[in-house]
Amino acid sequence: MIGNLFTVLISCLLLATSCSTKIISTNYYQEKKGTVDSIESRYEKLNARKPFAIAFTDKKLNIISLEMISDSLTRIYEFNLGEQRLGDTLLKFNYDTAGIYYLIRKMQQTKVTWINSVDYYVNDQPQQLIYLSIKPVTIRYLFSPPKYIALGYFRTAQSFDEKGRLLDNRRTKQVRKIKGQVFYRITDRICYTITDKYR
Amino acid sequence: MSTHYKSVFYLFLLPFFFLESRAGNVFSGSTKKEAIEFLDQIDQTKKSQLWPNVKPKLFYDNLKLNLENPMSFYPGRSTNFCAYGALSYLVMEKDPLGYVRFMNDLYDKGEAIFNANHFKPSKAVMVAAGSLQFKGVLDIRHAEQVWFLVLADKFKGYLNFFNKRYHDDDENSFWAATNLSKFNRMVNKMCGVHVKAVGSDLIKPWVKDPYSYLQKRIDSNIISLYINNRIIHKKNHDKIKFSIPTHFIILRQIRKENNMITLRYWDYGGETEMQISTGTLKKIIFGIITIDK
Repeated sequence: MIGNLFTVLISCLLLATSCSTKIISTNYYQEKKGTVDSIESRYEKLNARKPFAIAFTDKKLNIISLEMISDSLTRIYEFNLGEQRLGDTLLKFNYDTAGIYYLIRKMQQTKVTWINSVDYYVNDQPQQLIYLSIKPVTIRYLFSPPKYIALGYFRTAQSFDEKGRLLDNRRTKQVRKIKGQVFYRITDRICYTITDKYR
Repeated sequence: MSTHYKSVFYLFLLPFFFLESRAGNVFSGSTKKEAIEFLDQIDQTKKSQLWPNVKPKLFYDNLKLNLENPMSFYPGRSTNFCAYGALSYLVMEKDPLGYVRFMNDLYDKGEAIFNANHFKPSKAVMVAAGSLQFKGVLDIRHAEQVWFLVLADKFKGYLNFFNKRYHDDDENSFWAATNLSKFNRMVNKMCGVHVKAVGSDLIKPWVKDPYSYLQKRIDSNIISLYINNRIIHKKNHDKIKFSIPTHFIILRQIRKENNMITLRYWDYGGETEMQISTGTLKKIIFGIITIDK
């Protein structure tokens, strides 16, 4: 009896480890397009004034890690959303407090877990990409890693191959990886990937 | 071999808890002024056939930047170069002239000596330098690309056991990874200084109060920390995480107020200030490396 139970348990375990997390909606971006795009454009404006990045570090999306970026120093502080300290800190470092609070609320509602600006270079000239991650509704099996949808918003049109994979540039057929991930076309300047990490 | 088997193999290769390296070849020391004078005499427009993707202007501009602002070394986004970044900080503190002379020799001849360590990088590394992309500002820092790749090519530890030869994208893989004893060895050999470390790659150091331990040493030594960055820089929302160190930093300041610790450290091209609890400090530290100033 115990032997049988053990076999069943081992089988379940093997089955569970061989299954990966499934994202319920495969069309998440199209469903939330309006809100996600407005989060991106709001962030772009606020970030241009004074650079920062926001990540939700807990499952319930109540705790944020705020990175306040200047030329000489990056400050990384963690806040519970209800804390007065968050507003005081934003004010102290001359951030648009109301604008960032609004952005955080929108991120929380849309389950955007991270937003950040990433620099890269084309022909030795700096370019900017806004990277955000969304925590979708998933079915998770035991020991399977979490899954996030990561979106990359480029400023200019990008090149993609026939499979829709993001390329380094028009002249090469080399697939460009961002954080080790292949990205796929949504529009000519927005692409996505499914990843285990939100940042 | 799968990653799973590799991890099991590495688990059996636990290094020592207390590591100490005596000073190797001690530097004569040099100044920034000497290094700038040396750089000013060089033809900075010459193209090297040995480094096909390195652009002379980006290479020499980068060396100048390293001298003007040693804190600007940037190991690149998503790479495993953080340990070499921390090492760069120490090298620039000790011997800026040695650094630029070494880099210029490497660029001209494809091989060079730094503090009695002979470097002759592989062909694959020489082709890769100057072509790393999507790593942030490292994309246009061709001297730093050469420096980090050459260091990773030369120094090997057990984490590099299964991947010793560079292939495309290996800057992000185990090829470039550094464990605690490898880091200590690199610092000792490159900087010729006395290095004392507590901790290990898997088990945290037996230090009762890390704050007091660090506070006591920070003014008279350079302190590098080997930390689990995934706790303070979470990558997913899982609560259960495999606790391993992932990152090397140079500690610049530490202070305590109401049980909250403010750490100021150098890692990716600049300083970061972070507030954490005393419990989190204890949780993240796997190695404390004390280096003679």
